[in-house]
Amino acid sequence: MKISRRDFLKGTATSLFLAGFNLPALATSSRKKNLVVIMLRGGMDGLCAVPVIGDKNFEKRRKSILIEDTIKLNSDFALHPRLIGFNKCWNENTGTIVHATSIPYKQRSHFEGQNLMESGGKVPYQEKTGWVGRAMKLANLQGDGLALSLPMPLLLRGIPKNNNYFPTWGRLPRKDTLDLLKSVYADSSEDELLQMMNFIKKRKDEQMMGGTGGGDRQKNKNLARQAAKYLRKSDGPRVAVFEVNGFDTHAAQGGVDGTHTECLVEMDEIINNLRDNLQEAYKDTIILTVTEFGRTIKQNGGNGTEHGYGTAIFMAGGLLKKSQVHTDWPGLKRKEMYEGRDLNATIDARSVYASAMSTVFDLDFKRIQKDVFWGEELQNLSDKLFKT
Amino acid sequence: MKNFFRKVAFGLKPEEKAPSDPLTWAQKQVETIPELNWKGKHIYSEKEMRKYWITQRVEEDRTLRKKYKNDPQGLRRAEKQLENDTGAKYWPTNEICMRHAEGIRSDNPVLAKLWYFWTNHFTISDTQRLPEFSTGAYHREFIRANMDKTFETMVQEATVAWPMIMHLDNKDNIGPKSESGRQEWRRREKKPATLNENHARELMELHTISPDGGYTQEDVQELAKIMTGWRPKWTKKSDQGTDIRFMSDRHEPGKKNVLGKTYKNGRKSLKIVIKDLVNHPSCREFIATKLCRYLITDHPTKEMIAPIIKAWEQSDGHLPEVHKAAIKVAFEYNDKYKKFQNPENWWLQTINMSGASYAYPVPEKKMDKFQLGILVSENLREPNWRLENIGYHPYKAKQPNGYSDISTDWLSTELIIRRLMYAKEAFHQYKIKDQIDDTIHEKIIRTNFDNPDKILKIVAKAKSNEEKHMILFNLPEVLRA
Repeated sequence: MKISRRDFLKGTATSLFLAGFNLPALATSSRKKNLVVIMLRGGMDGLCAVPVIGDKNFEKRRKSILIEDTIKLNSDFALHPRLIGFNKCWNENTGTIVHATSIPYKQRSHFEGQNLMESGGKVPYQEKTGWVGRAMKLANLQGDGLALSLPMPLLLRGIPKNNNYFPTWGRLPRKDTLDLLKSVYADSSEDELLQMMNFIKKRKDEQMMGGTGGGDRQKNKNLARQAAKYLRKSDGPRVAVFEVNGFDTHAAQGGVDGTHTECLVEMDEIINNLRDNLQEAYKDTIILTVTEFGRTIKQNGGNGTEHGYGTAIFMAGGLLKKSQVHTDWPGLKRKEMYEGRDLNATIDARSVYASAMSTVFDLDFKRIQKDVFWGEELQNLSDKLFKT
Repeated sequence: MKNFFRKVAFGLKPEEKAPSDPLTWAQKQVETIPELNWKGKHIYSEKEMRKYWITQRVEEDRTLRKKYKNDPQGLRRAEKQLENDTGAKYWPTNEICMRHAEGIRSDNPVLAKLWYFWTNHFTISDTQRLPEFSTGAYHREFIRANMDKTFETMVQEATVAWPMIMHLDNKDNIGPKSESGRQEWRRREKKPATLNENHARELMELHTISPDGGYTQEDVQELAKIMTGWRPKWTKKSDQGTDIRFMSDRHEPGKKNVLGKTYKNGRKSLKIVIKDLVNHPSCREFIATKLCRYLITDHPTKEMIAPIIKAWEQSDGHLPEVHKAAIKVAFEYNDKYKKFQNPENWWLQTINMSGASYAYPVPEKKMDKFQLGILVSENLREPNWRLENIGYHPYKAKQPNGYSDISTDWLSTELIIRRLMYAKEAFHQYKIKDQIDDTIHEKIIRTNFDNPDKILKIVAKAKSNEEKHMILFNLPEVLRA
């Protein structure tokens, strides 16, 4: 491990300096830019996905679950070898990792943590809307959200008329049936049901019940292909939200073939299939991940890990500035860790999300900070991470 | 008034006469726990089901993966056969039949609706193949069977139930300073004894006092220490599938302090700390609020929960009294609030009001023909698959906090598509004679609504009986109760 906080601060100063020489961005308002959020539920282990190289404090605490044959990203960090899709992005200079980051939640409950990773707030269950939904409202993007799941995630709430896609078998009812129900919902002031009926009517015209592949149609890799088709349309959605479950590996986390790896691979397939199927639109897209917390550095007796704090964010897409591991690395000595057991978070994950949305939605960072995150102290990382 | 029969149960069948005293009708149902309505022959205890679970887990994790390590196709075939051999595709439907028969065929649908509430409160989420083998039996034995006892009894039993210990990893919660923790082999095999806080946290957050109880991370760790050692008995061959007991050699020694109270070292402390959690004011407030949210509205008021809390305090958390109080509040607020029904309750209401409970759940006769080793037919697997596709499979919640009771979580394009499709499917559960009966919808509507004319007028616009079904069961009056 060669990186230190001093190096990071030096590096930051340089990039700020260089940023000043960048040509002003061309007018981008005519291009449709997309945001894809992949929610990693259960607590993604940033150090399983992106291990630090040559840190004895790390290796000795994880003897049985250390990932072998990793892909070296730079002198300090490596990539889990099964993340093939992300590695392609990295090699094309469109893959970024933000390490030692987290939402500002330091308790260890999944439910509170997942509520906050979606609401963007600090008090669990207080907010009834999500940070993406609020930013979409600010950008006036009504009807531009697509959830790839059965229920509507909190993350997208805050703006009405979001759509979802989670195909099943069977046919939709005929148009007259839908029209009749629509008129009943309108008469009974059932606004939400009315909105849903409008989407269903549109869906009927597009014949998108099934998508492809029998048993695989509800799998994330298929949903990613379908979502890409929608995202690349000029009048299609601007935001898509995926969910990957199962990161809570208290036991049998395993090494390169363990249960944590299976979840990471599912995430990677989404990135890979979006990259392949977005085609030209990949250039105008940011894909990013969120999770409620990382996992303890030390493995437990069941070859698993406990709920932790700091973790990593994966980002891919043509709107990324370059391939890099962006971090203010806190170190893994006992006193450097959070409560002596977790990777510390030195970057508020919400700074990354606010910066990404500033880029994709063409909104001033300060407005997002003020109206989406209640004016809380966040860092504008747009210059460092994204093409602005 | 007729709305009440859907609010606390699943509506009335087309020919059913509305009870003259709805409140008493409902309250009487929660006094005792009758035998299951389901009369199929494959009803096994949670413990009996473990032997199938063990076969499945041991074979797939150890034997098959080694045997077919270079033959992925052979592995897939062998895995499918293994599922047939263990009944993995049969048991969930079998359990759902028992669960749903209570809702739509028994004399106590109100009790059933509350049973579903508690199974979600004490969720076993979709992990370690528990949905296929154990969760249904656990719901019968540890939840339903305790609905005529105190809440404390239910927590005590659910906490040390084998599926709960497994799903919240308490089997890996071992005291670092315990006898076992200090043994040499742990150092040699690099298996140090560590606390696993998962179960302790959920016991407070989800099952008893909720975050409003004001516990800290230290309280969680201390409770985890109290819980060390509660796990399946370890044997040389396999440490899985055996009964839960207290293994003192894995218990963290010393006193523990949870929420300001000190607990002694040893076996007895778990029982005492659960008693204290259950008697914490935040616990009864949490449960009363959840009951009101389930039955009445997304946003229960202080006035709503007060009588339930009072009944709790007067009866020491005796569940029949708590339930009766909740039913009474639901009765009083019957006209004021209409609760959007979750997908499972909506489906049962649809079948029940249609009068198709002879066809759903799958009749015992058909379920009884099942034999281990043989592929389970599509129609026996359908009820299991349907609940998953409808977004509410009681054995497959993604997380230990179960499914949401908030309406907006059930409003999405896809979920509404499911309701359209399954209203149609409910129609096709009918025998031909009912399908062509042009008066069937009038009967359903007159039996179940105080304002039949308005609804009849809307439904009359549909072109066929099938379409009438789709319209009727997607009207706001039916989606909410």
